[in-house]
Amino acid sequence: MKHMRNSLKVAKWEIKRNLRNKTFIIGMFLTPLFIIGFMFLGELIGGDDEETEMTTVFIHDELGVFSEIEQTVAASNLSWQVMQTDVTEEEANKEVKNTEQTAYLFIDEESLTKGTIPAYTSEEMDASFMNQAQILSSPIQAWQLKELGLSNDQLAVVSRGIQIADVSANDETDTKDAKETAEESEIASLERIVPGAFAGFIMLSIVFTGMAIFQSASQEKKDKIAEIILSSLTPNDLMQGKIIGYFVLGIVQSIVSLVIVLPVLSWRLDIAFLDYLFVPELALYLMIAISGYLLFASIFVGVGATMTDMTTAGNFQGMVMMLPFLPFIFIGPVLSDPSGFMAQLGTYIPFTAPGVLLLRLSNLEEWPWLEIIISLAILIISIWIFVKLAGKIFKVGILMYGKNATPGEIWKWIRM
Amino acid sequence: MAILGPNGAGKSTTIRNIMGILYPDAGKITFSNYTDNSIPRHKIGYLPEERGLYKNVKVMDILLYLAELKDYPLDQAKQRALDYLKKFDLEGKEKVNVDELSKGMGQKVQFIASILHEPELLILDEPFSGLDPVSQELFKQEIRQLADNGTAILLSSHQMNLVEEMADRLFLIHRGKKVIYGHMDEVKKEFANFKCTIHGTNKKEELEQLPRVQRVEQENAHSIVYLYKDIDPVQWLKQLPDTLDVQELRLDRISLHEIFIDIATGKQLMQEVGEAYA
Repeated sequence: MKHMRNSLKVAKWEIKRNLRNKTFIIGMFLTPLFIIGFMFLGELIGGDDEETEMTTVFIHDELGVFSEIEQTVAASNLSWQVMQTDVTEEEANKEVKNTEQTAYLFIDEESLTKGTIPAYTSEEMDASFMNQAQILSSPIQAWQLKELGLSNDQLAVVSRGIQIADVSANDETDTKDAKETAEESEIASLERIVPGAFAGFIMLSIVFTGMAIFQSASQEKKDKIAEIILSSLTPNDLMQGKIIGYFVLGIVQSIVSLVIVLPVLSWRLDIAFLDYLFVPELALYLMIAISGYLLFASIFVGVGATMTDMTTAGNFQGMVMMLPFLPFIFIGPVLSDPSGFMAQLGTYIPFTAPGVLLLRLSNLEEWPWLEIIISLAILIISIWIFVKLAGKIFKVGILMYGKNATPGEIWKWIRM
Repeated sequence: MAILGPNGAGKSTTIRNIMGILYPDAGKITFSNYTDNSIPRHKIGYLPEERGLYKNVKVMDILLYLAELKDYPLDQAKQRALDYLKKFDLEGKEKVNVDELSKGMGQKVQFIASILHEPELLILDEPFSGLDPVSQELFKQEIRQLADNGTAILLSSHQMNLVEEMADRLFLIHRGKKVIYGHMDEVKKEFANFKCTIHGTNKKEELEQLPRVQRVEQENAHSIVYLYKDIDPVQWLKQLPDTLDVQELRLDRISLHEIFIDIATGKQLMQEVGEAYA
């Protein structure tokens, strides 16, 4: 009880000290502004400016599909202005040399026979144009099917495509139309993704704030106050106080970021995030996020105590600082196959488990509970082990002045 | 009580053991009926040799934090802090950042932090190092006043004159072992033998022939004759030969400083002390 009281005193001190520190305050407000800044920067680079990015697409239509093409383009988000033309391919080739963001497409029997529609584009045309143009294959294929003599109903069936949806026994899904099913599916996805992304953000935020523990762990050494502090409490009290303190600071950072970023994000994406956030799954997501923080914080505080200060961090300490970035290498494999081997592997490695679990659960409709339980068990055991190891390292490291500890020395302290 | 010893003797380690920062390989620490881990640390004030303060915080904040760690009521700590800051010529500095203080001012704040919570035992490891004479005097006065008010003080210092002046008892260690322990007067009586300083042209061998002479150190016309401890100074002076060339003569006890040097350098006195405690 006394130890917990001491840890809380340290935590309170760390929180107060940082919240009064101008650098921390500036960083706290700059972080969400950077996030927003990158969001807008992404849009600017991606191209949202209709005036400059509008593409004029001339269609030389010999089949009579122009109205279908117009409807398809209008239904899409493409910034295209579609116009009919009767210029020849030769004239089009000359024309595009003097214009920007312009394309000429020649749709006739011959091109359909060859299976390739000739397109003449300006030199500075977006690289994505050819991908975007694939959208025209739908109305053209529909015209081809119609030519084969299919009725309108048959055409509707063929062009609708096939969607595989989960249907419960007592559900009335079978009576609903495809549109409603798609909407429900989207809501279900958002109910997984929004809390998952929220927990991921919280975890990253507290882990990155927690990286300051690295510096804080050696602060007492640097300021030569370690002995004064340790004459009042144990190294474990001090260490745990720092972990709790930086957890709270990370939460403060997350709240400030979310308060600033969420309204902007809701406005830009037109999604009411709060409607999808408070679902029962959120509790598990947050538990994973907190576990991730505790794991990294215990490692940081232990290794941080082995350094004189941040500027003298050696290769070993530098590698430890990179640990929270390890889950990033699993993003690709997990997104392409959330139940695949790499996804499962990442779930069972303590350093990657929190990040990979959050990513997987946000992308899986059916949660693999057995894997979740095993992963959480691995995480909890790892946290316990790392807290114990960090305690041993911290106890000796905090009183070692003048030089960084070598991995050999750290190993010796662990075995003591 | 002063704890003395050459560098590496184990003074700071002993102190760290008392404070529970390090744990002894053998033996146990007791403090008013408490043993080892059960020793209430809030009853002890500590000013370590390796000391500093958090840099980017205000003076009052750090003082209150350290008092809080000692479970001392904060309102009381604040009032005492203001009183002490005034006493140590730091009035109005409570809202100043620590990194804006001079080294001497910082040391005063560290000292205040160690006594703010009214400790029963105050451990001071090299409290005077780096202090100017005025600040040294201020520290001495405060230490004396605390002692008069009933605070037990354990002082470690290499400044022998200050130790001699302030300590009632002495604990001298060398290579982790106790060498001398006792009241200052008793220690001086026991170990601080008489020495006779003579200015005059005398042969070293002749001086060594004098009765009860332990050893002689000579440099040109300046000779120091170290005597065994059981001499009667008056009788010893009476039996000096007429042939002795004496321009100046002084008979006094060797200082704590010399005892310390003898022990640190392992001279004859060390052997004698060893014999006395064997």
